[in-house]
Amino acid sequence: MRARKAWVAATLLTTVAFGGTTAAHADILFWSTQAAPVEETQAMREQVLSGFDEPIDYQATDDRGPWLTRIEAELEAGSGTIGVLGALHGEFVSLADNLVDLSDIDLGDVTLNATFKELGTLGTGEQKYLPWMQATYIMAANRQALDHLPEGADINALTYDELVEWAGVLAEETGSPKFGFPAGPQGLKHRFFQGYLYPSYTDSVVTKFRSAEAEEGWNKFKELWQHTNPSSTSYGFMQEPLLTGEVWVAWDHTARLADAFNQRPEDFVAFPAPAGPTGRGFMPVIAGMAIPQTAPDMEASKSLIAYMLRPEAQIATLRATNFFPVVETDLPEDMPASVRMSGEAIARMSDAENANPSLLPIGLGEYNGKFNQVYVDAFERIVLAGQDVRTVLDDQAETLRSVMEESGAPCWAPDEPSDGACPVE
Amino acid sequence: MTAVTARETAVPAADIRKRGRFLVAITILILSVWVLAPIYLLAINALSSPAQVNAFPKSLVPGMETESIAFFLGFAGVLRALGNSILVAGITMVLAIGLGAPAGYALSRFDFRGKDAFRIMVLMTRAFPLPLLALPLAVMFIRTGLDDTAFGLALVHTTLALPFAVLITFSLFSGIPVELEEAAWTLGCTRFQAFHKVVLPLVLPGIAASAVFAFVISWNEVFAAAVLTIQNRTLTAFLLQNINVSPMHLKFAGGAMLVLPALIFIFAVRRYLFAMWGIASR
Repeated sequence: MRARKAWVAATLLTTVAFGGTTAAHADILFWSTQAAPVEETQAMREQVLSGFDEPIDYQATDDRGPWLTRIEAELEAGSGTIGVLGALHGEFVSLADNLVDLSDIDLGDVTLNATFKELGTLGTGEQKYLPWMQATYIMAANRQALDHLPEGADINALTYDELVEWAGVLAEETGSPKFGFPAGPQGLKHRFFQGYLYPSYTDSVVTKFRSAEAEEGWNKFKELWQHTNPSSTSYGFMQEPLLTGEVWVAWDHTARLADAFNQRPEDFVAFPAPAGPTGRGFMPVIAGMAIPQTAPDMEASKSLIAYMLRPEAQIATLRATNFFPVVETDLPEDMPASVRMSGEAIARMSDAENANPSLLPIGLGEYNGKFNQVYVDAFERIVLAGQDVRTVLDDQAETLRSVMEESGAPCWAPDEPSDGACPVE
Repeated sequence: MTAVTARETAVPAADIRKRGRFLVAITILILSVWVLAPIYLLAINALSSPAQVNAFPKSLVPGMETESIAFFLGFAGVLRALGNSILVAGITMVLAIGLGAPAGYALSRFDFRGKDAFRIMVLMTRAFPLPLLALPLAVMFIRTGLDDTAFGLALVHTTLALPFAVLITFSLFSGIPVELEEAAWTLGCTRFQAFHKVVLPLVLPGIAASAVFAFVISWNEVFAAAVLTIQNRTLTAFLLQNINVSPMHLKFAGGAMLVLPALIFIFAVRRYLFAMWGIASR
């Protein structure tokens, strides 16, 4: 009797396992590495994609491993379920050969940002991806910290010297270090060195990696670290320590500060990144959309991309993800606090006279991780382990040179364009 | 005279026993706190509002705000993913025991060539990292149509759970004297009947324990689930990759969502687990 029951249960289980799997495959699968935090995923589904004619299955993951493995598997198998890919510029590079040319998509009267559109060709003659949205990294501070601002310092035109001084004053007057830096495993510290510290001190990311100017920059950062909250080595998203009050001044990605601005807009200010001897270095981040060759319904995928670039969808995306539009459009008045606050800071930063934008690494493909590791290792050795700056830079420059040579990536802004692999001097 | 000495020595003996009991109590307390404190913190934070989660110092009483939990219940696809998780873990459990227990029995009762090699080889499936295997597996699954099915994923999870199922059941069967079976044979039982009527009731609690283990392995696996399923995501694959980049209050709520079903399951089968350790709980 009992045995029969078990058999019935087992049969039932197998039937359920095989049944119900063929249903609902008509949805366009949007396979993305962006908007992965659950609230953003929810908002993408309910506020952005629901406006499209066909149902869309939006799946976002912050983990690049499964994302890439899945698309590679579909390409290799020659048949797939993924309709549209959403990812950062650098994540498309290794897939370039398998992406469909998007230059025939009819965008109507939408004007795309020309620089970003050009990036989408990935150096080929085809439009491998179309820009989707953009963001950048800014500074945020608790209003209480403004009372301790050094005399003569303008928060919207800070220099690294002033930031160090400010952090020092804060630590002294409040009794504990109040500057925070996302140096945890989930943190985006490498982007700070690539897009902020290096351009601000050397006007370069790769070429002048081991220059005397770079040494000066690292020494300045070491000074800043003296007044940095030691828990920084575990911080991922700076909005959390800002909200708890552990940290009063921080640098991070706009989307990773948004919660602080939205939850308590009157308690926080957003402001541009500081400037160094060679300008106010900052790094715009560009996410794009592409279609793999294995997409089940090419036309539907293309019209989805066209839909995502319509101004109203772009503004809905901005509300959902805190990533800004890549098409020409006016922002409505009633945007969330984080959008207004970061938007102003970004405008101040990019419009600053000494603005020095640098791009996310281009052309590194699978070497992206190794490239980032060079900067992370330099940080860990110089700042955390307290090793000699000169020695570490000389060591790491060798690693960086081999990464550049193996990947063959030419220089990108702010480095001067190069023939062949970007040299490390 | 003798009575006095007896009393004199009895006092320190009782004292030592008392201290021993105290030590045991402390150990139990520490172990319980070790396990329960994180679950408790998870629970109170899951039931607090974002402001309470971020507040300092932390309150040890839940705010009884169900906002974060409600968000997850309303998150498109959570219930379906929960169903998939249970389904995949269930199939894994059945397959792992269905294949693992006979293998364990064979290892403990029969001598055959390559027995030792087999015992080592069965562990080999754990030697390859999944991210390495996932790509060829996914390609094969897409080609054979196993892609995006609960059964296909359960096959992968079974491979992961099988070594444990084999080795646990092997030691269970080895613990049952073969003489018991022989006695049953002499009394007219066939080999199968002897197994069914004599051995099985004795090892059932242990088998239940290794089934729980298989369930938990499947429940916790993320990478294969994230690559091999799209529409039929498991809860872990569905939430875990998104939770680690979500705000604190949602991390807690999502964590609670992931832990709770597994806790309920283990609670439901606890009688078998206790029975395995020889504690009666009726």
